[in-house]
Amino acid sequence: MFNRGFAVLAVVLLAVGTLSAEEILDLKVPAGLKPLKIPADNPLTEAKVELGKQLYFDPRLSGNNEVSCASCHDPKHGWADSKDRSVGVPGERLGRHSPTIINAGYQRFQFWDGRAGSLEEQALGPIQSPAEMNMNLDTLTKKLNAIPGYRNQFKQVFGTEVTAENIGKAIASFERTVLSGNAAYDRYKAGDEAALSEGALRGRKLFFGKANCSACHAGSNFTDNGFHNIGVGIDLAEPDVGRQSISKLSGDRGSFKTPTLRDVDRTAPYMHDGSMATLEDVIEHYSKGGIDNPQLDEEIFKLDLTDQEKKDLVLFLKEGLASQNYPMVEVPTLPE
Amino acid sequence: MNKIKWMGVVLALLVSSTCVTAAEFEVVSEGLYNPCGVAVQPETGHVFVADSGNLKVVRIVDGKPQDVIVDFGTDVYGKGPKYQVGPLGIAFLDTNTLVVGGGGSPDGEEKLYAFTVPAVGEPAIKASEANSAMNLAPGDEIKGEGNFYALAVTNDAVYVTCNGDDTKGWVSKATRDGNKLASFERYLATKEAVEVDAPVGITVSPDGHLVVGQMGEITVPEDGLVTFYRPNDGKMLANFPIGLSDITGLAYSPGGQLYAIDFCWNDTTKGGLFQLIRDENDAAVAKPQKVSELDKPTAMAFDAEGNLYVTVVGSGEGEDTSAAGKLLKITGLK
Ligand code: HEC
Ligand code: HEC
Repeated sequence: MFNRGFAVLAVVLLAVGTLSAEEILDLKVPAGLKPLKIPADNPLTEAKVELGKQLYFDPRLSGNNEVSCASCHDPKHGWADSKDRSVGVPGERLGRHSPTIINAGYQRFQFWDGRAGSLEEQALGPIQSPAEMNMNLDTLTKKLNAIPGYRNQFKQVFGTEVTAENIGKAIASFERTVLSGNAAYDRYKAGDEAALSEGALRGRKLFFGKANCSACHAGSNFTDNGFHNIGVGIDLAEPDVGRQSISKLSGDRGSFKTPTLRDVDRTAPYMHDGSMATLEDVIEHYSKGGIDNPQLDEEIFKLDLTDQEKKDLVLFLKEGLASQNYPMVEVPTLPE
Repeated sequence: MNKIKWMGVVLALLVSSTCVTAAEFEVVSEGLYNPCGVAVQPETGHVFVADSGNLKVVRIVDGKPQDVIVDFGTDVYGKGPKYQVGPLGIAFLDTNTLVVGGGGSPDGEEKLYAFTVPAVGEPAIKASEANSAMNLAPGDEIKGEGNFYALAVTNDAVYVTCNGDDTKGWVSKATRDGNKLASFERYLATKEAVEVDAPVGITVSPDGHLVVGQMGEITVPEDGLVTFYRPNDGKMLANFPIGLSDITGLAYSPGGQLYAIDFCWNDTTKGGLFQLIRDENDAAVAKPQKVSELDKPTAMAFDAEGNLYVTVVGSGEGEDTSAAGKLLKITGLK
């Protein structure tokens, strides 16, 4: 199986001549994941990841010094938010549920509607968004330049003062290290037949067969990176049109990005609107064939799962996809 | 597989080449409705087209379509834009035996047909008058198959890309008995092999390998794959993330060069004809080199002289493509 054997070492693309090889972080991705592509203009280094981590957890990046990335993408909640819809700076509820940032480095698109491509591009969005962190980038760079701990680290890592672009690069680099793999599913796939319990094994078979889950949740990150209408929230008076607002294609109405399912047991509630509290609710939705509408994906149809099959599927998601080395990160010491 | 061996395999799969010849284009026929299949008849050199939206297979004579097989079933592909489709892939087994992949029935009832084509001047026959027709019905645990998009013919079999069970992504295999189909079964689970959806384009390489174009998600750009399999046991030999979006057709020129057409669903202005070229320094890498833009290309076939025929859906008023389809002839390819 020549295409699977290379999963241990990440492909690190060196930027031309800016950094020496030993500074480059040799990212070891967990078992079961593919090598992670690192953009050539933002190579991973240990110091950059460390800086990104501080920025990620630092509420001073927000207008009221109270909201950090981790407020809505919290390692204690699967790097997502336990609220159905997150609350940002002025206490305002956002339009959508906060997705996990686990394995976001593998995603072709960011956001439920895919409106951002790279993590670098994405990171500066929430900082400036009035409803999220409500911070002007000029104000932010001045603020961080006045903190010697940050100023020095930016000098060391980028050779510049604090700049908006490099804030984005540092945060993106940190996010690329938040990885979930090495789950019972991966160990089973690698040949450890005892890795999954009998119920989870039955659930696995359903997932990749009769229940049709792998039609969309495919590949090592359990997503096809595409957009599908599975009917969630489509019965509201004014439904979120999702991908259609970006692609302008009528067929994309009500389509959202297929999310990863790694460590999904920790990321409740579920879906772009956080409308499903438990994995049992999710399975119920699929079993009844989603919510019918003209753009409902062909791959969503009545499954009529038995109670036992529903339990088995949930067990596979919980037991099978939980990482053995969950990427728990504590809040680092923030620079003064 | 050890590295040296794997490099050897790859080297044999794609011919490397450094420049693409200037190609010339000619519109052979216009006014088709979502044409989705093209085949060149052995001996006569006549070009046959699956005029899919019109639910028939036609022979193009002096630029005009003549009905050959009519009255296929119909279905709609896509959620908007939507495309009306009927018969899809077509391929000749011999001078008079044409295999047609259905696209107009529900999964499980969809048929692969074998017809004896009427000679020039004879009246058209109906789809129901096939010599034989076979389907892939659902089982207890397995979905029925449908949308038999493209066909590749070897000495002893016809390989058919299917679009029913998206957890498996079947390429099915049919065998023949004279001018009839003898068997039809699910054969290669491409989704299990490459973890990406939808085998669509398919051809046979000069050294006898099956070459499958995996379309990936229509909402995702540049996720297409070109994968090589050994036909006798279905073993995957190599897989190239080629950088195209939605490969609808693959074909080798008589000169042994591999070409692909890309529908590029998410931005059809980027679709076109590409020559696939192996990287000279890295045998595991192959890249597309654009020969030309094409407006929603759907199928391709070379004739014995090296002329390439391509069907395109084209663009009409709004979403109406009912007379926008064309058959193009491209000359001057390597
Ligand atoms: C107030 C809550 C909130 C804060 C603060 C916040 N986010 Fe988000 N984040 C969200 C929501 C909600 C979405 C989904 C929005 C959408 O898809 O339209 C999201 C989406 C994302 C995504 C895309 C993930 C995916 O799978 O599509 C990433 C990556 C991300 N945020 C990173 C960050 C970073 C980095 C920060 C800090 C700079 C941050 N977020 C701050 C709520 C928040
Ligand atoms: C047609 C593609 C498709 C199929 C088939 C599919 N899913 Fe999904 N799945 C999605 C999309 C798209 C979303 C996000 C939808 C939204 O937020 O509106 C999603 C969301 C989820 C979520 C919520 C994850 C989160 O972080 O919010 C879970 C859990 C899930 N799917 C599990 C499954 C299971 C189990 C199956 C099989 C029974 C399945 N899916 C079949 C596309 C699919």
